[in-house]
Amino acid sequence: MAYITGVSMVNVDRHYDKGVKRLAAEASSKALEDAEPDTLDYIIVSSSFTYASDVQLDIASYIASYTGFRGVRALAVESGEASGLAAVSVAKSLIDSGLASRVLVVGVDKLSEWPTWKVYGHFSKFYDVEGEGMYSIGMGGIAGILMRLYMETFKVDRLTLAYWPALMHSNAKLNPYAMLRFAITPEKVLEAPPVADPITLLDSFPLGDGAAALVIEGSGRGNVLAELVAVESATGYPSIALPEDPLRFESLERAYQRLTQRADIKEVDVIELHDSFTIMGILELESLRLAERGKAAEAVSRGYFSLGGEGPVVNPSGGLKARGHPIGATGVYQVVEVALQLGGEFPGLKVPDSRHGLAVSVNGSGSSAYIAYLRSVG
Amino acid sequence: MAGFSAPAVWRGRTHRYRLVAGKCTSCGKLHYPPSYSCPYCGSRSMVEAELPRVGRLMSYSVVYSVPFDSKSRAPVILGLVDLGVARVISEITDASPEDVSVGMQVEAVFRRIAEDGGTGLIVYGIKFRPVKGA
Repeated sequence: MAYITGVSMVNVDRHYDKGVKRLAAEASSKALEDAEPDTLDYIIVSSSFTYASDVQLDIASYIASYTGFRGVRALAVESGEASGLAAVSVAKSLIDSGLASRVLVVGVDKLSEWPTWKVYGHFSKFYDVEGEGMYSIGMGGIAGILMRLYMETFKVDRLTLAYWPALMHSNAKLNPYAMLRFAITPEKVLEAPPVADPITLLDSFPLGDGAAALVIEGSGRGNVLAELVAVESATGYPSIALPEDPLRFESLERAYQRLTQRADIKEVDVIELHDSFTIMGILELESLRLAERGKAAEAVSRGYFSLGGEGPVVNPSGGLKARGHPIGATGVYQVVEVALQLGGEFPGLKVPDSRHGLAVSVNGSGSSAYIAYLRSVG
Repeated sequence: MAGFSAPAVWRGRTHRYRLVAGKCTSCGKLHYPPSYSCPYCGSRSMVEAELPRVGRLMSYSVVYSVPFDSKSRAPVILGLVDLGVARVISEITDASPEDVSVGMQVEAVFRRIAEDGGTGLIVYGIKFRPVKGA
């Protein structure tokens, strides 16, 4: 058994005045408020851009000592955009194996550290650098191809797809940790400057810095927010040029199938998923079979995934779109947010009486996928 | 993209210059760029096979958010090209966004695909352009 007993988030923003270690330390110390250093068995750090940018190697050890935990076991996990959930899965396996009884997971990354053109170059490394990564795929090039293919294949118009970012911005308004806390209309999404046409700026995640932390314990005796029931993952095709149907994330389908074999999931009340771009959120909903193929955007537009809708509430935090996507930190934010929802303590848009939650992370166009299932303990 | 390694660029020359795919001797399927194993059946028994030079544009994106080295030629058109026996992601060249449409015929041409401003390294390879009169 694994329980989430402490959580913390830094608001996603351009934190020019704070470095990676400082952001990680702030999140870690708050999540561990009631813990003594010698009772912490492991620190698992999730960070992707710290390596991509040649900033710091062995980041986990430096974060550990900077935060005041010199002596603790520490290691870092990197899985591109899916790093955060990968770190949570490593932490959970340490708990499940009995090697550790209390583990801190901290995810951190800073995108405001460099000029955007440099950050775009790093983004292309989420994809195969010997394949499409050789070309100027920048931010959203591959997702742009998927979005146009989706629109052509299922005859979905651009405006219908714009309801996703509008919902995300609406959800984020109440989230004090979100980077973009203002409402937008679907029409506004179409008028925004193109990033990777048909993707516009308002379909894309903002470039911000963040850190989130959570404490996982093997014993549920203390202050338990939620149970971390299972985390599963799978690898997938290295390029959208390879699968017969590029609009299916085989990695996510397989990870979800494994999760349902491991845990009896009867219903889902709340999901935090990986909407780096509008089309990613839509394709993930369909990969999880929460919407029929080609129908997820339409379901979003009629409020199916909104609070009070028929389906599970998707991304009450505002998602990557509006909360933000500080790469290595994102998966940790998602698990923290779901845990807070299940514990009835989320400070933003609350999903009342939620008992079952999922967090979903995908790198690039599905090279890997992770999914976590959390349950309330009340 | 900045920061290309010269040995890495050199190693990929054959597949990048001549559009050489990996062909699985077990299941017979082709994939690009060539991998150590077949992405479909997992077999490690591979041979090389040149891909057709003409294909159909399945989808594309007009990318404005490009890294520094391609800033001067933004927007860059990135396409998913179906060559029948395999598909490739490549840049669409000799065309402006208005000239491009899903389903159009495109053909392979040899071009400069990237440049490393820091080291002066130039990467050559295949791009696709619309077939004239198609």
